[in-house]
Amino acid sequence: MLHVPGYYEYCCRVKVVAGHDVLERIPAILERVHATRPMIVTDRGVAGAGLIDVMTEAMGDQVTIGGIEDDVPPDSSIEAVRRIAEAYRNNRCDALIAVGGGSVLDTAKGANIMVSEETDDLMAFSGVGTLKRRLKPLIAIPTTAGTGSETTLVAVIKDHERHQKMPFISYFLLPDAALLDSRMTLTLPPAITAATGMDALTHAVEAYTCLAKNPLSDANAVSAIELIAKHLLPVMKQPEDRDGRLALAVAATLAGMAFSNAMVGMVHNIGHATGAVCGVPHGTCMAILLPYGLEYNQHRNGHLTAELLLPLEGADTYARTPRNQRAQRVIARVREMNQSLHDITQGQHPRCLRETYDRDGNAAVPFERLPDIVAAAKNDPAVFLNPEDLDDEDYRMVLEHAWAGTPLDCTRIKRG
Amino acid sequence: MRMELVYREISPGRSYLKRAYLSINLWFMGRAIQAAARVDDQVRREFRSLPDKFTFALGIMPEGPHFIVQKSGVDSARYIGRCIDAQPVDLKMEFKHLEAGMLTFTFRENTPVATARDRLVVDGEVAYACSVVRILDIVQIYLLPKLVARLAVKRYPRWPLGRKLINRTRIYWRSLIGY
Repeated sequence: MLHVPGYYEYCCRVKVVAGHDVLERIPAILERVHATRPMIVTDRGVAGAGLIDVMTEAMGDQVTIGGIEDDVPPDSSIEAVRRIAEAYRNNRCDALIAVGGGSVLDTAKGANIMVSEETDDLMAFSGVGTLKRRLKPLIAIPTTAGTGSETTLVAVIKDHERHQKMPFISYFLLPDAALLDSRMTLTLPPAITAATGMDALTHAVEAYTCLAKNPLSDANAVSAIELIAKHLLPVMKQPEDRDGRLALAVAATLAGMAFSNAMVGMVHNIGHATGAVCGVPHGTCMAILLPYGLEYNQHRNGHLTAELLLPLEGADTYARTPRNQRAQRVIARVREMNQSLHDITQGQHPRCLRETYDRDGNAAVPFERLPDIVAAAKNDPAVFLNPEDLDDEDYRMVLEHAWAGTPLDCTRIKRG
Repeated sequence: MRMELVYREISPGRSYLKRAYLSINLWFMGRAIQAAARVDDQVRREFRSLPDKFTFALGIMPEGPHFIVQKSGVDSARYIGRCIDAQPVDLKMEFKHLEAGMLTFTFRENTPVATARDRLVVDGEVAYACSVVRILDIVQIYLLPKLVARLAVKRYPRWPLGRKLINRTRIYWRSLIGY
C-alpha cells in the first residue's frame, strides 16, 4: 500500500542522459553549463581499462581538457580531494568530469566543494546543509552500476586519521548531468559488477523500507529493484550484454534518486563503519549486510519488505506466497542472490564478513575488530532513519551473525 | 496612490502560548541534561566521548527558544542558558519553525520522524550529533511517563526498576533546583 507521509521533500534536478552512445553529448552538456576547460577525475583502474580514451575519442576535439587526475584511491580520502583541488586551481579549470565509481564521484564532489568555496578546510563543510551556494559544474559518468552518486546529494569521504567516513549532504552536491553509457560498464570485472549491483539493490531496498520513504522515492526504488532482479544475474553470466549493462546502470541511478531523497538505514550505518575500520569495499558490505538489516527491522517494517517481493520475484511468486511469508521470502531471495553471485564469481563475492580478504589475502574483518566497528557505527548518522534502534549489544549481535554468515536469531532482537 | 495606502502591512502573528510551551520544555530539558550527566552512567559515557568544552544547542528557528549545554569536566555537563547568540556552539540542532517544534514536543512526531520529514536542521559535526541524540533520548525516557516516552523515542528500553525510579527522582529534583 502506498505510504504518503504528512510531509516530505523530493529533489532530483540532475539531467540524466542514458544510452549506448551518450559520451558524444559531453561537448553540448559542457556548453550548457558554460564550461570550456574541464578537469577529468578518475582512478587508475578506469584509466588503465582505456575508458578515458573512449571518452576523449567520443568528445573529439571540441573540448579542451584542463587536466586528468587519475590517482583517486579506492576509498575516497581527504588527501586525494586536496590534491585534486590543487591541480584544478593550478590548471585553471572551470568544471569537473568525474569518471569512475563511487569513490571517484565522491572525491570529485569533495574537490568541487574546495574549489568552489575557495577553502582548504574540507571538513568545515561536512554534515547536512553546510553548503550555501552553487558549486562549479560537475558531470558524472559512472563506470560501475551501483553507487548512484551521479544523482545523489551525498558525498562520503574517508578521514583516515579518525577511521571515520564523513558525510557531506547538500542539494548543491547534485551533479549537473549524469551520463550513463553502456560502454563505460561493459568491461567491469565480475566481482565488482556483483558488489555494485547489490549496492544499488541495498540503496533501493533501504529507501523503500526506512523512515524517510515517500511516494516519489518509492517509485524510483521499485523500478530499480525490478531492473536489478531481472538483469544482475544474466549480466554476470553474459558480461558483454550491452542492454543488460545499461539496464543495471539505469537501475543504479534510480536507486540513487531513491536514497538521495529517502536516505538509508542500518545496513549503510554498519556498512560505513565496516568499510572505515577494515577497508572492506562498500558494495561488498552492502551485499553481506542487507539481509541482516531486513531481518533486524522486520517487526517494524516487515509489511514494506513483503511488498518488495513483487519487483524482486514477479507477480506469480508474489501471488503464490502467503502474505505473512513474503518478507521472509524477500530476505531468502537476497541470500540466494548472494549465493549465486558467490558461485558465478568462484568465491570472489563473499557471503559473510569472514569471507572478506584484503589485497594480501589476509582476513579483512578479524573477529576481534567487531568492537571497533560497533564504536564507529555509533557515530554514523545513517542509523537515524532506521526503523528500529540499535545499542552496542544489538550492533554486536548483528555483526557476529554477519561475520559468521548465519541468519539472525530473531528472539534476541529487542522490542520496545 | 502610494503603495502603503493601498496595502496594509500585515505583521506575522506570534504564537505566545506555543512559544511559552516550547520555552519551558527546552529550559527544563537543558537542566535535565545537566542533571542526567551527574546521575546516569550512560549519559556520562556519552559526554566522555565528546570533546572538552563541547557546546550544543537545541531550539527553534529562526528566533525561537533554545537551550545550550556545555560539556564540563570529563563527563559532566552544564546548562548554560537560553541565548543562542551569547556564545559559539559546536553543534546546533534546530527545528525549522515553531509548528515543527510543536509536533515533536507534543509527541505527535518523534525525533527520527522529524528528521525524516526534514524538520530539523543540524549544523555541526554529525558524529557528535549521534551522541547528542542518544543523550536526548535517555533524558526524555527519564522525564516522561512510559506511555508518552514511547511516542518520543524509537524504542523504550528495559531498564531495571531501580535505575528508572531512583534516577528519575534524582533527575527531576536536580533539574528543579538547577544542580
